[in-house]
Amino acid sequence: MPEKVALKGLAAADKYYQDYGLRARELKKQGKKVIGYLCAFTPAEIITAAGFIPFRIKGDVDEPITKADTEMETIICPLVRSCFDMALKGNYEFLDGLVVPHACDSICRTYDIWKYTLNLPYSHFINMPHGTDDASLGFYREVLDTFRTSLGKFAGKEISDQALAGAIKLHNQNRAKVKELYQLRKSSPPLISGEELTKVLIAAMSLPVEESIEMLGDVIAEVKGRGGLSARKQARIMVIGAQVDDIAFIKLIEDSGAWVVADDLCPGAREFLALVDVSADPLAGLAERYLRKVKCGRTYREMKGNYQEYLEDRFGHMGRMIDDFGVDGVVLYIYKYCDPYGFEVPQIKSYIEAKGTPVLYLEDEYSMSTIGRLRTRIQAFLELLGSK
Amino acid sequence: MSQYFAGVDIGSTMTKVVIMNQSVLASVIGPTGPEHRKLANRVMEEALEKAKLPFEEITYVVATGYGRINVPFADKQITEISCHAKGVAYLLPEARTVIDIGGQDSKGIKLKDGRAVDFVMNDKCAAGTGRFLEVAAEELGVKLEDMGKLSLEARNTVRISNTCTVFATQEVVGKLSEGAALPDIVAGLHEAIATRIYGMLRRLKIEREVALTGGGAKNIGLVRALEAKLGFAVLVPPEPLLTGAIGAALLGKDIVKEAEKKGTPLPRAERRLQEATLFT
Repeated sequence: MPEKVALKGLAAADKYYQDYGLRARELKKQGKKVIGYLCAFTPAEIITAAGFIPFRIKGDVDEPITKADTEMETIICPLVRSCFDMALKGNYEFLDGLVVPHACDSICRTYDIWKYTLNLPYSHFINMPHGTDDASLGFYREVLDTFRTSLGKFAGKEISDQALAGAIKLHNQNRAKVKELYQLRKSSPPLISGEELTKVLIAAMSLPVEESIEMLGDVIAEVKGRGGLSARKQARIMVIGAQVDDIAFIKLIEDSGAWVVADDLCPGAREFLALVDVSADPLAGLAERYLRKVKCGRTYREMKGNYQEYLEDRFGHMGRMIDDFGVDGVVLYIYKYCDPYGFEVPQIKSYIEAKGTPVLYLEDEYSMSTIGRLRTRIQAFLELLGSK
Repeated sequence: MSQYFAGVDIGSTMTKVVIMNQSVLASVIGPTGPEHRKLANRVMEEALEKAKLPFEEITYVVATGYGRINVPFADKQITEISCHAKGVAYLLPEARTVIDIGGQDSKGIKLKDGRAVDFVMNDKCAAGTGRFLEVAAEELGVKLEDMGKLSLEARNTVRISNTCTVFATQEVVGKLSEGAALPDIVAGLHEAIATRIYGMLRRLKIEREVALTGGGAKNIGLVRALEAKLGFAVLVPPEPLLTGAIGAALLGKDIVKEAEKKGTPLPRAERRLQEATLFT
């Protein structure tokens, strides 16, 4: 059996994207343990520090949700149901454990269903708070310590501060590579398409962090070395939304005659661009990053200053990205029943429109059959940007 | 030499073709069948006959509507959002907002300087579209085109609470058996659609004047129900079904003029009207 697929860079990313979990299955056969997790709010650093492979569970827009419907009603987030459906259908049989953070309510309230149904050797729920005040931060650090102890017990060895610091360093390196890759989207035309980049980031969610760093490095070298994308002048689009773990939507936008050059998505800028501060107490650094630095609708930011300052605190990073990446228009892409982002929509829309950037708001159901229906709207939005 | 521009709008229910030079020379409206390509061809031929023009004389053809990709002889496809905006800006320059009620979707478009700047669209659900009325009309045994007039006779508009087409139909049957008068029920149906569309439109921040287009605009009862929601009168073009096709023809004209101005070659599709039927 080969050590890894012999492919490199974009070809490797494509392989790992098409056959999601391929590498995890290989490593499992070699005796490694794989810990699955939901959502970017699981501190993968702790899993790496324990000597396990963190593996992000994703859904599949191409696969109709069937088995999950007996356990979860259709008023629950379709992405969460799809992830669970994939697990029920045996796609994640190689997992040794499951970690679920209290990201949003759909993720939180389905933990017991996951735990009961999959009955894996290890399951853990991270009781992540929603506020960002000092009390919440202190509480969250203790919650992470509980996770460290619990996972250490499963590993049969305590997870030391030193091991944590090492894992944090690796994950920061991984994020720095992603940031480097994002720089290649700034030119016109960008050096890498949105579709390619999305594939790379999804593939990265399924790899041990060291291998992800290597793949990203190869992709950066490959993309810098090849000729640019078609020089046709096209609109530069930023996509904002929750977890987009398939290329279909990004491809739909690009096939309609645009470049997707920026995002606030998972996997994407939201998840990858914030680093963990290296501090004497690694858990405090992790708590700070996940609670305060990663800006997601699931976290409630207490109102500070006047309303404009409050909006700047919540969405300022989106505004800066629009400027830095020369974005012409923003597509706000929200799944039905996603309450964290549902609540954010009017404010994100008005914040970005106030900057003078047009916004197209699309609601979808996490299914290929509904994505096609969005085509006319996307085309109309691009026509509207083109005639400005 | 005169230039002629054609607009082909294939909607879910109706197919519309116009041929223009300075103004509309000919227009044809026919039902959309399951075979878009063949039909687009036939409606086009009919329009050419009316305009007394051979197809070769048409400078540029733009297709729009939900069947726009199925027009083999079109030079370009443009969405119905841009085409309706253009058509309304031409027919009713004072309009700032467009409400289009089609067979399968309804949409609102905000206009500025004759162009679409924002839009909302409902195409997920039949409620709020012409299809809703079609289904209800059948259930009531009333002709679709008689619904508008009939509703104006309403004394006690019935409240239809369900916005889902299937359930609203059941509700209509229930109201009938309770003895509600037909005009009151029909008025209730219009009220339900108007409520749905008005709710969608409010996201756009409606600005006067408001133009109403699409098949829905031909229903006087629906027009009145929407006006009651808006609190003012709407503008309806003489033939509301043709707005998209007119807009498509005009956008084609813009493309040709732009290419002439810049001296760039006109990007045209390989068009052979006669051979288009080979696709069937």
